[in-house]
Amino acid sequence: MRVLTVDDSRTILAMLHHTLSNAGFEVLQAEDGQKGLDVLATANVDVVITDINMPVMDGIEFIKKVRASGEHNSLPILILTTETSQDKRDQGRAAGGTGWIVKPFDPEKLISVIHRVVH
Amino acid sequence: MSDLDDFKATYFDECTELLTELEEQFAAIEAGERTPDRLNAVFRAIHSIKGGGGAFGFSELVAFAHAYETLLDHVRDGRIELSDPVTVLCIRANDLVADFVNAAKAGTKLGAAYGADERAQFDALTSGNAAESRPTGEDDARGDDEFDIDFVPVMVNLEGAAAEEPAAAADDQFTAMPLAVEKGQWEIRFAPHSELYARANDPLLLFRELANLGELTVVAKLTEIPPLADFEPFGVYCTWELTLVSPTATAESIAEVFEFVEGNCDLSIAQLAGRSHRPSEPTLADLAQLVTLPEKTPTVDETPTLSFAELAETVKKDAPVRVAPAAATPVAAPKLVVPDPAPSMASEEIDDRRSGPEDRRGAGVQSIRVDLDKVDRVVNMVGELVITQSMLSQQMDDTLRARYQELVRGLEVLAQTTRGLQDAVMAIRAQPVKSVFSRMPRLVRELATKTGKKIKLETIGEATEIDKTVIEQLSDPLTHMIRNSADHGIEVPEKRRSLGKPEIGTIRLSAEQAGGNILITVEDDGGGINRERVLEVARDKGIVAIDVTPTDEQIDQLIFAPGFSTAEQVSDISGRGVGMDVVLSNIKKIGGSVHVKSKTGQGTRMTLRLPLTLAVLDVMLVKVGPSPYVIPLSSIVETIQCSRADFGRAPSGAKVLRVRGEYVQVVDLAERFELTGDAELANRFVVLCEAEGGIKIALIVDDIIGQQQVVIKSLEENFESIEGIAGGTILGDGNVALIVDVQGLKANNSLHKNAA
Repeated sequence: MRVLTVDDSRTILAMLHHTLSNAGFEVLQAEDGQKGLDVLATANVDVVITDINMPVMDGIEFIKKVRASGEHNSLPILILTTETSQDKRDQGRAAGGTGWIVKPFDPEKLISVIHRVVH
Repeated sequence: MSDLDDFKATYFDECTELLTELEEQFAAIEAGERTPDRLNAVFRAIHSIKGGGGAFGFSELVAFAHAYETLLDHVRDGRIELSDPVTVLCIRANDLVADFVNAAKAGTKLGAAYGADERAQFDALTSGNAAESRPTGEDDARGDDEFDIDFVPVMVNLEGAAAEEPAAAADDQFTAMPLAVEKGQWEIRFAPHSELYARANDPLLLFRELANLGELTVVAKLTEIPPLADFEPFGVYCTWELTLVSPTATAESIAEVFEFVEGNCDLSIAQLAGRSHRPSEPTLADLAQLVTLPEKTPTVDETPTLSFAELAETVKKDAPVRVAPAAATPVAAPKLVVPDPAPSMASEEIDDRRSGPEDRRGAGVQSIRVDLDKVDRVVNMVGELVITQSMLSQQMDDTLRARYQELVRGLEVLAQTTRGLQDAVMAIRAQPVKSVFSRMPRLVRELATKTGKKIKLETIGEATEIDKTVIEQLSDPLTHMIRNSADHGIEVPEKRRSLGKPEIGTIRLSAEQAGGNILITVEDDGGGINRERVLEVARDKGIVAIDVTPTDEQIDQLIFAPGFSTAEQVSDISGRGVGMDVVLSNIKKIGGSVHVKSKTGQGTRMTLRLPLTLAVLDVMLVKVGPSPYVIPLSSIVETIQCSRADFGRAPSGAKVLRVRGEYVQVVDLAERFELTGDAELANRFVVLCEAEGGIKIALIVDDIIGQQQVVIKSLEENFESIEGIAGGTILGDGNVALIVDVQGLKANNSLHKNAA
């Protein structure tokens, strides 16, 4: 199973990579929404995990663009954020986010959340 | 555990970058560029520091960063104006964040009081705003509690997870009813809206999750499926009734399953008081028939039930439930009475938060991140390649040249390619000096405040690129030089006014490339070096003998002498127990030199001359006594045969060389390095070198062998530091040659000679 992780923080990308690859996922990385779109244009991905606050293209715009493309309607997108406010989460969901993961994340929880949204 | 350490290292690296970015952004903000992009970048930087910090449980750091972030959030959406006091508070906060990061790195705690004042100020600013704040305000208020807990990773609480309206009654029931210790039975009604599918949620996955809680029975309600003619491929027609039998399930655990689809479905969760709930079970075949032959419109009384596994099978086989793109026009089932709780809200807001195209990462330059060690390995190998190549070239004598022309041509191409490769590798390590320069405006500002002086900083040539290793070593010396200028150079405003100078003093920081060197200049328009005072102190401290009268130039240079400090009272700024000698030794370490030029009443200019690269040096290979020595080509002006040189004697008795009407000190390297040169003077050579500040020095060597490139090997690391020697190198033939330190010889020579 292949996961695309989108985050401008190298630390978070590294931790996601570690956790996910240990759990047997193949991990792709992008450091902002635009680069995330670039990856999606060329690679098949089973699930996306994206940060919200990013330069160039933020996570909400990214999710909107993914959904608007029409090609990834059933691609689960998890929003990764420290912001627990209903506000942010709703924005992410309104844009087409499938679920969310709250930073700091517990590795087991991360994996279990992914399994909640992918087959 | 080592993984965690790796992540921490990455995190602290990243923090350093983010803190530098904060400096840059605030420098621009202070200069009046209060653009949303900058504010967003600042917010993101703090946000990232906080996010990573949370992952490692740096609670002090996170708590502070959180409070600061809240302030920044208010600032970036305009709830708080970024006035001067707020800017000052932010800059202070950046420092504190840096302190917290450093403490976290060192594994220490700074205590609850640390940064408490600033946090109180953040709170005062943000809570004063609470009245008109939008719903996020409640998050802000909640923020502290949320982050004061001990950072055990937690999932967010499900606030009102059971869908509000249909489940309201059920909620009451849950609280009223004691937890079912007996085998609990739950009835769940689930009617997804089209948004649920548009967000790639999948009822099947929800059921799978529910099935983990206990024994699940799923009944699909297919009564809403229209005749084929009216059937909308992406329409939502299916609803479900589920029965969960579980001794452990609670309303919360069930609601949690539906956490991600809250608001995108009608959901009711009710506990059944012990009564059996098993509707009659139509066969799978019945359902399959319905799904595959939809023209046979189901009637209301056809309510098929099937087990979870059966349903899973069916849903997998059949698509309409799963495929529902956002673009499709959903056909709302009549029973969906709850209005759409998630309109496409906040789209304008989102646009606001888009970063501008000028964002530093948006430049479209593709890049990869490579471990510096790997680059260093390449640099070293290229260095060795350069040596081998020059060795091969040396082996080509005239006979070989005449005989093997193809080989000669091949070697020429190899030489070119090697040079190109070397440049390319060096370019990888090169970075603009901006990363160091950008820290300085802030330093100057602080210094101005502390000294009560008015100082502006001008920077020129920020784009000049230098080797990363050099850049890293540059920060401290530069800081020290600027401190020195602000502290000792620039006068107080009253004095400047009385001298007819503008009240605001200027420190100019510039970088430029000059030949194989980078020149970095710190120049101020202050009072210049107080030479009388400098000489007095130097004599007191025994740095200069009483009977010696150094030139102005030499006196200026004395400020770099070890142990020298003229500050009459040790100030908070420059007097930190180390003087300018540290600058000199740091710069020397990276193969550079420092020169100071001062004009009384007009200012001081200090110039750092740094090598472009640390690894490979263009040199002239010479012979002194029996040994090969190399002299950096960048410092050589010309070479003269001794027989043609015009030597003379200075009044002090020292040997001098007259070059175009100018007298130049002479250093016989054989004498200086205590070697016995057997060559007659007439057969020897003068290598005229130019040291820092245009001072010339003539070195006498026994023979000149030729030019080549060498890889510098540190003498200090491998042996010990020797005066007059800048390092060592291994020649193509395997011999070791020492690199002559022209600058060191000059400085040394002049003081020795004068003192003698």
